[in-house]
Amino acid sequence: MSTVPETYTIPVGPLHVALEEPMYFRIDVHGETVTHVDINAGHVHRGIEYLTTKRTMLQNVVLTERICSLCSNSHPETFAMAAEQIAGIAIPERAAMLRVVAAEVKRIASNLFNVALLAHLVGYETLFMHVMQVREIAQDIKETVFGNRMDLGAICIGGVRYDLDEETTGFLVAALDRLVPEIEAIVATYRTNGSILGRTRDVGVLTREQGLACGVVGPVARASGIAYDVRAVAPYAAYDRLPLEVHVLTDGDVWSRAMIRLAEALTAIDLIRACLRDLPDGPTRLAETPDIPPGRAIAKSEAPRGELIYYLKTNDNPQPERVKWRVPTFMNWDALRFMLADAKIADIAIIVNSIDPCVSCTER
Amino acid sequence: MNVLSLLGRNLTQGPYTEPFPFGPAPTAKRFRGRVTFDAATCEGCKICERVCPAGAIRFSKAKDGLAFAVWHNSCVFCGNCEFHCPTGSVHQTTDWHLAHEQARKYAMVEFGLIPNQTCSECGATALATAPSLRGIAPPLSAEEAVTLKSLCPKCRARFLKARRAKP
Repeated sequence: MSTVPETYTIPVGPLHVALEEPMYFRIDVHGETVTHVDINAGHVHRGIEYLTTKRTMLQNVVLTERICSLCSNSHPETFAMAAEQIAGIAIPERAAMLRVVAAEVKRIASNLFNVALLAHLVGYETLFMHVMQVREIAQDIKETVFGNRMDLGAICIGGVRYDLDEETTGFLVAALDRLVPEIEAIVATYRTNGSILGRTRDVGVLTREQGLACGVVGPVARASGIAYDVRAVAPYAAYDRLPLEVHVLTDGDVWSRAMIRLAEALTAIDLIRACLRDLPDGPTRLAETPDIPPGRAIAKSEAPRGELIYYLKTNDNPQPERVKWRVPTFMNWDALRFMLADAKIADIAIIVNSIDPCVSCTER
Repeated sequence: MNVLSLLGRNLTQGPYTEPFPFGPAPTAKRFRGRVTFDAATCEGCKICERVCPAGAIRFSKAKDGLAFAVWHNSCVFCGNCEFHCPTGSVHQTTDWHLAHEQARKYAMVEFGLIPNQTCSECGATALATAPSLRGIAPPLSAEEAVTLKSLCPKCRARFLKARRAKP
């Protein structure tokens, strides 16, 4: 007669119905409680870092935009910031404001996407479909103002590629006015709905100390009581002149991370409105496409998932000598070991989703 | 948000999705779709080929001129070509109807030809590119522009030098 062992190892991934992107977890469980997590990465490595050294600076603005779809504006923006730093360029004021508009529109869509997936993983499909439908308003903004649903093509070295005219501004304002009550209703639902609260409160807890030890960034850090936001501590573009509110919660559970994302979506709308109000006239980019001299620079920005750092080294060639980026997920997935400790098997997908992993950014 | 009121709203409003292909699918004016090329205004600077990150744009020497091709199956629709084009000769339309049968995969190409011409001054064979008009002061008249276009590069330079020398 055989007996079932009390402890065994289960694979989650690399292709798993509950994961957005390929990621492989080897999870040791005791009964249905997680005892040990082994993270195995590299399934979507495409060699983009190498490829950037084979493309010119102007081509790389487009290439970096295609590293990842959800933070597709943050990559070229930070890349351009590094290039501008090497060349000693200051972008025009209107361009700085328009960069904020593009970044915050992406933040709304990205955060709503993650919050929608949370509802899907909880099994609340009606709410999932509804949040995705609300996100569709942000998608319409992207298509109407920028010309594409995901890759905005908003950034160029020395400014921005797009401009707001009366028609697109009107569309943007009207769409934001539609978004606010919808997001507020979603916030109220996530605050009160029993299905959501039951699956997310006190699940996947990351304490402040653990968060600091892992160096987590973005909404994951801010949900664990770490008030770190690049837009506030190292302002770039026009963030130092805008009313930026940094949201912090202290519980560090899955629910707190979702609430931070929703609050930041609302803050993003405030920031866009402030930009539209203060938008000065003037050029949206430098008159000439600048040449980037040899040099090196580090630039960082706050992507929807957290701090994104670019290192750029140029030489006399039109191609950069080295481009390296550190994405927020790289810091945040380390914290999964703490979040998944003693979790139930059923909560694994919810916890993994709560860091909003962007595997294609991390493994490029 | 009350789910029942949400359901009621959805019942009265009907589906959020577009009825395409049974109805029209609204497309934004700024949508970045199929690329078109206007050989008549092209200066032949080839910046579009250099900035294209996908290598979808290719210029090649042809018997009768300079051939332009953009391969839509390689194109990533980033709009870098249109953004950097000094004359607006490369333009992204709002046409997104690019689905095609496998048999047509080599037909998804936009071709253009900048033809050769015989220089009206010296008789040499040269490309009939649009002359670069930026920085020319005072701006060329319509007849001057036609004359300038009919010249080869050397004669164009001579024409402009002579024009600058005029009091």
